[in-house]
Amino acid sequence: MKIAVCAKQIPDPANTMEYSEGTLNRPEEQVLDDTDRYGIEIALQLKEKFDAEVTIISMGPEGTQKGLQQALQMGADKAYFVDNPSLKGANSLMTADVLSQLALKSEADIVIFGTESTDGYSGTVPQQVSRFLNLDCISYVKGIEINDEVKLTRQTIEGSENVNLPEKCVISVTAGGVEPRYPNFKDIMAAKSKPVEKIDLATLELTAEQNLEFVTIENVESSKAGEKVIDEGEAFNQIIEKLKELKAI
Amino acid sequence: MKTLIIGEVSNSTLSSGTLEILGKAKELGTEFELITIGPDDAPSIGIDSITQKYVKRNPENLQFNNIATMISEYIKNNEVKLVLSSSTYVCRDIISFISVDLLSSPVSNVIDFSISNGSVETINSINGGESIYKSKVNSEHALLLIRPKAFEPIEAEFNDNYDTLEVEDSNIPIFDIFKEEKEGPQLEDSKIVISAGRGMVDKDNLTMINELANKLNAAVGGTRAIVDAGWMPYSQQVGQTGKTVKPDIYIACGISGATQHQVGMKDSKYIIAINKDEEAPIFQIADLGIVGDTLSVIPKLNENI
Ligand SMILES: Cc1cc2nc3c(=O)[nH]c(=O)nc-3n(C[C@H](O)[C@H](O)[C@H](O)COP(=O)(O)OP(=O)(O)OC[C@H]3O[C@@H](n4cnc5c(N)ncnc54)[C@H](O)[C@@H]3O)c2cc1C
Ligand SMILES: Nc1ncnc2c1ncn2[C@@H]1O[C@H](COP(=O)(O)O)[C@@H](O)[C@H]1O
Repeated sequence: MKIAVCAKQIPDPANTMEYSEGTLNRPEEQVLDDTDRYGIEIALQLKEKFDAEVTIISMGPEGTQKGLQQALQMGADKAYFVDNPSLKGANSLMTADVLSQLALKSEADIVIFGTESTDGYSGTVPQQVSRFLNLDCISYVKGIEINDEVKLTRQTIEGSENVNLPEKCVISVTAGGVEPRYPNFKDIMAAKSKPVEKIDLATLELTAEQNLEFVTIENVESSKAGEKVIDEGEAFNQIIEKLKELKAI
Repeated sequence: MKTLIIGEVSNSTLSSGTLEILGKAKELGTEFELITIGPDDAPSIGIDSITQKYVKRNPENLQFNNIATMISEYIKNNEVKLVLSSSTYVCRDIISFISVDLLSSPVSNVIDFSISNGSVETINSINGGESIYKSKVNSEHALLLIRPKAFEPIEAEFNDNYDTLEVEDSNIPIFDIFKEEKEGPQLEDSKIVISAGRGMVDKDNLTMINELANKLNAAVGGTRAIVDAGWMPYSQQVGQTGKTVKPDIYIACGISGATQHQVGMKDSKYIIAINKDEEAPIFQIADLGIVGDTLSVIPKLNENI
């Protein structure tokens, strides 16, 4: 079994996102998107059971490769990435197009995603990749049970439902379903010698194009912060007064 | 501009997101048709003067790929230019699949849009609502995924006037379908919402939140942090990846106010926040902020209301 996990390097989410010309500014040092850790964890659980090979695939500025290293430290075997200035501000379809090609290159049977990236959150890339690759798409997976069959639990609007993992498919994983592992010192050292290969964009057969044009970013008048009261035991009265005024009680 | 609205049916009625998009389409006065998708048999979802096709899906089979193929064909054959849909799980899958068929990237998280000179301009909210991002769609087809509560819903009386379409099964059966029980006031339509965050310290402390909610006839919500921790089912998550609410009063208890949470509640009319950290971002959008311990303030509210 071969598994590809799409993982993104993103600006440290502790900082506010800054844009220029409609595109997110990306510093040299980017980190692994936390939401991708869940997909990596699922891939590693499958690897343990089926002796699978796990390839991280990624698109975006290479930078210090910190995010890629973090993914390899968790236990993935190798990484493929594409970094090309022409992909700056790529829409979700172009991103999916590139990732589909990388998934083909990795010969993956199963391609795993987060449901939404922290910095882009279009929430469409996994499904688009499945369509490009003509694979079934099992989206919003929030749980996995690995026996001889692998059972996936999907989040639905009303609750949940289960499907069995087919031999080939795309999966998107929600946060919280599994507990991503932390690498230990040995894992961190081992990651340094794992192969990380930059794939030349020109070798990929791409079809999607930019169809979304940036117009403006405008700040909105934020509703200013209201009154702030330090509780010294009686602040609850202020809430009750307000609830009365608003006719809630 | 010839428009197709892709809507969803749940609990045998049109979803609120669908009604909201219909509201916007009516207001714009564009020519549109409606394709709805749902698992129910013969739901009462027809609306006078709106042409509707209902795709009755098989709840025990993963059919979204096949549904998307049908809709892509429909779009091509009927020269549809604009496709509108709400950002639900089902519709996100469908729109994504269609976007590959039409080679047109969708715009996600749209909070408003306009049509002028034959082109579509969309508005997104970024940085937790501090800025708005405008873009223009330059392809032949514009595919928009619209956030809930972006528009006022249409008021409609339902009848049985629509065509029903069947879909072929895929080779992926669905089993163990589980429906979360819904009791008490629902998040989307309550006038008061009380939400809990990690600052409630322990799952057991949610009983005081429920008690307060009972007294105020409020719905209870939570942050992703506590949903992930298993304190509350996902259906009660408020925020970017959960529900969007717009109640008259929102009471945030022990919530830091991450942008992803704010996206789901910042348009509430009056926001009350209780947090022991004076610097918590939630205070930037609170009308009344109480810097204090939830575990001391909430019991006092319960005693005195
Ligand atoms: C792609 C993505 C999507 C996301 N989607 C969502 C979403 O839909 N909804 C959502 O909510 N989050 C979402 N998040 C997560 C979000 O970023 C935050 O991590 C989350 O909202 C934090 O939850 P919290 O406020 O409960 O916890 P924390 O951030 O840990 O905050 C707890 C707060 O409680 C206060 N506190 C602690 N003890 C007390 C006490 N005794 N009394 C009073 N105050 C106390 C603390 O000061 C702190 O401010 C998403 C994140 C990502 C990356
Ligand atoms: N540039 C990228 N490189 C690798 N994976 C990505 C990239 N963009 C998106 N993804 C994957 O697609 C998922 C959904 O992203 P998005 O559609 O941007 O919300 C993420 O959780 C990642 O798994």
